[in-house]
Amino acid sequence: MKNGMSVLLSRIATPTRVGRRDFIIVAALAAIAFVVPYVAGTYQQEVGFRILQLGALAAAWNIAAGYTGLVSLGSAAFFGLGVYTMALASNAGLPIVLCMILAAVVAGLFALIVSPALFRLRGLYFTVGTLALAEALRIFVVNSPWFGGQAGIFLTARAPKAFELYWIALAIAVLVIVCVLVLLRSRWSYRMQAVRDDEDVASQLGVRTYRTKLWAFGLSGALIAIVGSVQALNQGIVQPNGGFGISWTIEIVSVAIIGGMGTKVGPWIGAVFIVLLGEFLIQFPEIHMAVVGVVLVLVIRFMPNGIWGTFTLALQKERNFS
Amino acid sequence: MTAVLQLTSITKSYGGVRALDSLSLEVAPGEVLGVIGPNGAGKSTLIGVIGGALTPNSGSVTFDGRDISKLSSADRARMGIGRTYQIPRPFTRMTVADNVRLAATNSGHHISQRELEPFVGGILDRLGLAPFAHETAGKLPLLRRKRLELARALALKPRVLLLDEIGAGLVRAETDELITIIQSLRTEVESMVLIEHVMDVISRCCDRTAVLDFGKLVTVDETPKVLADPVVASLYLGSIADSAEPTPFDEDKRAGIRASLTSLVSVAKPVSDAPLLAVDDVWVRYGGLNALKGVSFDVQPGECIALLGANGAGKTTMARALAGAVPLTSGTISFAGKSIAGLRPDEVTALGVAQCMEGRKIFGTLSIEENLIAGGLDARKHVKAERLEAVYSIFPILKQRRKNSGTALSGGQQQMLAIGRALMSAPTLVVFDEISLGLSPIAVDEVYEALGAIRDSGVAMIIVEQSVERALALADRAMVLSQGEITLEGMPSELLADARLLSSYLG
Ligand SMILES: Nc1ncnc2c1ncn2[C@@H]1O[C@H](COP(=O)(O)OP(=O)(O)OP(=O)(O)O)[C@@H](O)[C@H]1O
Ligand SMILES: [Mg+2]
Repeated sequence: MKNGMSVLLSRIATPTRVGRRDFIIVAALAAIAFVVPYVAGTYQQEVGFRILQLGALAAAWNIAAGYTGLVSLGSAAFFGLGVYTMALASNAGLPIVLCMILAAVVAGLFALIVSPALFRLRGLYFTVGTLALAEALRIFVVNSPWFGGQAGIFLTARAPKAFELYWIALAIAVLVIVCVLVLLRSRWSYRMQAVRDDEDVASQLGVRTYRTKLWAFGLSGALIAIVGSVQALNQGIVQPNGGFGISWTIEIVSVAIIGGMGTKVGPWIGAVFIVLLGEFLIQFPEIHMAVVGVVLVLVIRFMPNGIWGTFTLALQKERNFS
Repeated sequence: MTAVLQLTSITKSYGGVRALDSLSLEVAPGEVLGVIGPNGAGKSTLIGVIGGALTPNSGSVTFDGRDISKLSSADRARMGIGRTYQIPRPFTRMTVADNVRLAATNSGHHISQRELEPFVGGILDRLGLAPFAHETAGKLPLLRRKRLELARALALKPRVLLLDEIGAGLVRAETDELITIIQSLRTEVESMVLIEHVMDVISRCCDRTAVLDFGKLVTVDETPKVLADPVVASLYLGSIADSAEPTPFDEDKRAGIRASLTSLVSVAKPVSDAPLLAVDDVWVRYGGLNALKGVSFDVQPGECIALLGANGAGKTTMARALAGAVPLTSGTISFAGKSIAGLRPDEVTALGVAQCMEGRKIFGTLSIEENLIAGGLDARKHVKAERLEAVYSIFPILKQRRKNSGTALSGGQQQMLAIGRALMSAPTLVVFDEISLGLSPIAVDEVYEALGAIRDSGVAMIIVEQSVERALALADRAMVLSQGEITLEGMPSELLADARLLSSYLG
């Protein structure tokens, strides 16, 4: 079992160094993205929102899965926590930004609580273990009296306009990217990679593996929860099946794998690809998921490092041989 | 003075295998303690228990008077215990420098960003790894990986260093260099534990030496006394012991092995008087570097060739090229008249060329027996069974453990498995890269004994070996590679006659 996972993980490219240049590129791209609402219509803003949302989710997931080897299928749990925190906190009258921060805190605490049990499991066992997270939370939310049961909770706050949502999503995307870049520049980046590649050796070299995994898993979950909190604003109503639905997990994983796990850019490429594919197939909802599935299989078979990973590897080879 | 490290009746079992059996041992401050013993004696297990990677079934480990038995390996590393792995475990996708940086930034000592680079650079320099600092560690050949193990352990600024066979596979000059490094470390670390099968290292570096066998302490005393001990000679040193007489081999056993080995041999009738293997002007280039620069040689049927040379001379590249594991940049290699350039490794094996690779890919998901069978998949069932028995007659330990996982073996035992697996295809030509790597002296005696029998039955061999004397005693012809070219070639007797010439070529 452990082997299957290590085969998957062994395909992840090692992140390249992060320099000041990366921050400048991000700032430039963000500035361009910022003006979109001035020049494009509502439809484009909605598509942009989807891309930013999915990209941020996949990039956040990537912190745990791609860099640290914690391939989690529990993303929907964190997402749902964000969704519900926003609903409850904003209905209680807290300002939106505070609700988002609260969502991150709740998700971080959740990671802390589940980590002792989860981190006992390694590789594929860990992955299977995380599957239970979202389902457990969903059942809890349905059955406890505080969350509106199956019917869910309506948000009382004013529904944001498309351009507002877009800008919020952009701000969060920038937050996620900056988190990833700062992380990759720090000493945590080596620790995370070391834990991913050989946990025992990492520990023998002084790396506190539990702490490293907890940071990565917690940060990844907190960022996912922030994105989730915006989804609550977007929908105006939160429901257990929407918030904790497995489809979020599947989407995040597909985006990251298609774009390239363990790369800075991959998740964003994957998000653009998946969202545009979805728009392209909007007339054919019945084959949409099937097409995504086929693409996923093809990518795993022929581009094991994802679109971006394959591209950069090819570039490296080019450089080596010339 | 109190001991720096103290082990008290440590017992460690892997399933039914008792690797350490109520072992007690002390390491004094300022001491370099050697640990020797047959393959599978429990030496690496000992290091694992001290470092915290392995949890003993019973017993305690004390460091500086403090019981550390319950601490994680990370905490032990931060307290100042640095260890290396016998079979190196670098983070293969990180660069060499990053591997060292990781250890430097997680040790118990705080190191600022400004100090970090010179510190890492210094360690890499000292161990000769500086030129490879920016390569991914996965690209390093085995011996540099061993250096990297040492580099990472040093980056922890340890108080105690536990080194597991970092001297294996070095030629004399390289061994001398390593000994110098170890001696220079004496002033930097408080104590060291050195596991080695290279007696030069033990006798020149270790104050005291402990001998283990079957997980028990046989003796521990000043090194010269231990090495002169007749019990140690018969248990471990074999023919390299000072006291050794020409070993009285048990003739019956030898005949038995010979008889069973016939099933490992399938000597093709010479097609013509053409050579079995013809290597013609082979060039191999990696990246921008020429690893082989126009190597040409022939191997006649049944001939045994010793391939000598310093590390980085191109021996492993040559072996890998013969196996079809690296593409030739130019030149041809033909076996029994057929070109093997461009064939996949399995196709090369099918022609009758087996290899025992330096990196030895032992499959942990397969049992020992399955690992062996994987070496000779094509054979029919009863033939396989015969060959298995033949391999088992050379390495009885493999038979005892045959149902266990291939990686649930000591380093030396895994080497035995790799050698056995290469023989399972009943090859016409075998290429052994670093054949005695990790084997105890006495196990090397046994392997060479078996190789002699295999050679006598007509199998051609190419042996890459660091122990020049051993290789020359077996070989019909020897070649020295340096910097990708064959610089010296001749009969073993000629080369031995001019030892100085030979050593100058070996660098
Ligand atoms: N992971 C494992 N699972 C089961 N048995 C093991 C495992 N590792 C080692 N052993 C067994 O424990 C015993 C001691 O092994 P250890 O690696 O300590 O030997 P060693 O003295 O280091 O030998 P070598 O000189 O060959 O490296 C051996 O019999 C070995 O087969
Ligand atoms: Mg060992």
